[in-house]
Amino acid sequence: MRILLAEDEEQLARVLKLAMEKAGYTVDQVADGQSAVDLAKENAYDVMILDIMMPVKTGLEALKEIRASGDRTHVMMLTAMAEVDDKVTGLDAGADDYMTKPFSLKELLARLRSLERRNDELDKDILQFGDLTVDTNEQTLVSNNSISLTSKEARLLQYMILNANKDLSVDDLLNHTWDDDDESADPDDVWFTVSYLRRKLESVGSNVVINGEKDGPFKITE
Amino acid sequence: MNIYGNYEQSLHKVMDQLLHNIQELNEDEVNHHHPKLYEHLISRVKTPASMTEKCQRKGYPVTTESALRNCKDAIGVRIVCNFIDDIDRCLTLLRQSDWCDIVKEKDYITNAKPNGYRSYHVILNVTTPYKDVDGNVPGHYYAEIQLRTIAMDSWASLEHEMKYKHHIKNPERIGKELKRCADQLASCDVQMQTIRQLINEHD
Repeated sequence: MRILLAEDEEQLARVLKLAMEKAGYTVDQVADGQSAVDLAKENAYDVMILDIMMPVKTGLEALKEIRASGDRTHVMMLTAMAEVDDKVTGLDAGADDYMTKPFSLKELLARLRSLERRNDELDKDILQFGDLTVDTNEQTLVSNNSISLTSKEARLLQYMILNANKDLSVDDLLNHTWDDDDESADPDDVWFTVSYLRRKLESVGSNVVINGEKDGPFKITE
Repeated sequence: MNIYGNYEQSLHKVMDQLLHNIQELNEDEVNHHHPKLYEHLISRVKTPASMTEKCQRKGYPVTTESALRNCKDAIGVRIVCNFIDDIDRCLTLLRQSDWCDIVKEKDYITNAKPNGYRSYHVILNVTTPYKDVDGNVPGHYYAEIQLRTIAMDSWASLEHEMKYKHHIKNPERIGKELKRCADQLASCDVQMQTIRQLINEHD
């Protein structure tokens, strides 16, 4: 993972950089908010660790600017301020995680490892269920035969498989498959997508079925 | 005299009769207010040269007997349909027809070939007023029917084009793209079929 570290306390910055590099990460370190914004524009990071109290621009200001540019990188805030309000402000400004100084190096590294595991899991594009293989990267459904999936079909199917044999309501499926930016999505979208998936399961000759009437709930079973 | 001997003319007549019979099946459907069975039909009698080549390739003696009995695709008809379900309707009607028997069916739609080819192949034994190679009247002639959707047909044309170009730089890569394309077309076919079904449910 490539990490951007913005921390103006020289001593602490050096220790953090060293520890993270020793754990195998690549670390770019800066000492003020503006430099963090500049580097975030230039490079692709997996994680950004921003101190709140920094010269030129605070970590919060930098964070807001980074988010405003459309950057969705995982951001962890570091601060001496332990007030609940500060945490809330940071998280609301777009931070994903928060650590209060003094913190243990061990904990920081554990959090990075947890994040790495999660990213790896999301990258695992191939899902097996019964006689089915779903490749969400290639967007194909394979059993006896193969067929392409649209991005919505792939996401819906993935969510259903990860929650196989459970009753899933239309709302549930809508919330997990359609993004917030797709405001116009409605229960009919779920119904059409389920209908397409059913025909596709049939056409690849799979034994997997999606049960449920038009108003849900739906359940995928072998 | 070519490999078809005295039967070349009959082959053309049998093909015309076969086309006529299939057109009649379609007219019946339309008269019953059902959607048309297919979008279009094409047909051919295999040229004597390629039939001779086929017999040699298969190790059959180059005789009229081989061309009309061992090989069953001297007459070929392709039924190109709008939707997947139309293929099933055609098959049902062919199975019920009294002027032919189905000798063999190969379902490359449920079991697409590894390169992505999809189509449904049927060998018919057609009863005709013409004398056949065994000297029987009414005579029996074989014909191969290929049923596919317009999308499958376009794909097959593209694949055919590639097969006959020998200087393609990266055939594996093109093959992979063709396979992906076949899966996408199959996806569209299924999607259109589903929409059609959903529309009809509301009737």
